[in-house]
Amino acid sequence: MEEREGGFRKETVERLLRLHFRDGRTRVNGDALLLMAELLKVFVREAAARAARQAQAEDLEKVDIEHVEKVLPQLLLDFV
Amino acid sequence: GSEAAGGEQRELLIQRLRAAVHYTTGCLCQDVAEDKGVLFSKQTVAAISEITFRQCENFARDLEMFARHAKRSTITSEDVKLLARRSNSLLKYITQKSDELASSNME
Repeated sequence: MEEREGGFRKETVERLLRLHFRDGRTRVNGDALLLMAELLKVFVREAAARAARQAQAEDLEKVDIEHVEKVLPQLLLDFV
Repeated sequence: GSEAAGGEQRELLIQRLRAAVHYTTGCLCQDVAEDKGVLFSKQTVAAISEITFRQCENFARDLEMFARHAKRSTITSEDVKLLARRSNSLLKYITQKSDELASSNME
């Protein structure tokens, strides 16, 4: 599995996670980083897709913040 | 003092990471926009990016706890699968990717 253009870089994911670790010894192995990159990609795409569907349900072509706000609670509940 | 410098460095790192997440979010939103035939406002992309950035804190802490619970200091694929447990489709997807990685690692 290579890092694809439309996804998160391994290095970015590593730094994003390390920013919040409580223990200085915590590390993330390579496979876990790649999987987290995939997970984050799915998260973003799902948020975008749900917001888009919400806008479309309101007969709109432009997705705006209120559409994100409407779908956010369920996204967080469903996802993780 | 060095504490202030550390704080500044952390702030700089956070800014860079936010920007990186924002960039990738933009790319992914563009894909979805094309798929669905919609347009995302700039604020929408920014909002999704910010939400994702913040979610990483929960993900990081959970992953750290899972590894610690298994008496490891290194987070592995197993910990990521645990993170994905709430959504059947997500878990299936992550498990599939994990299997792909495992088989390519063996080559």
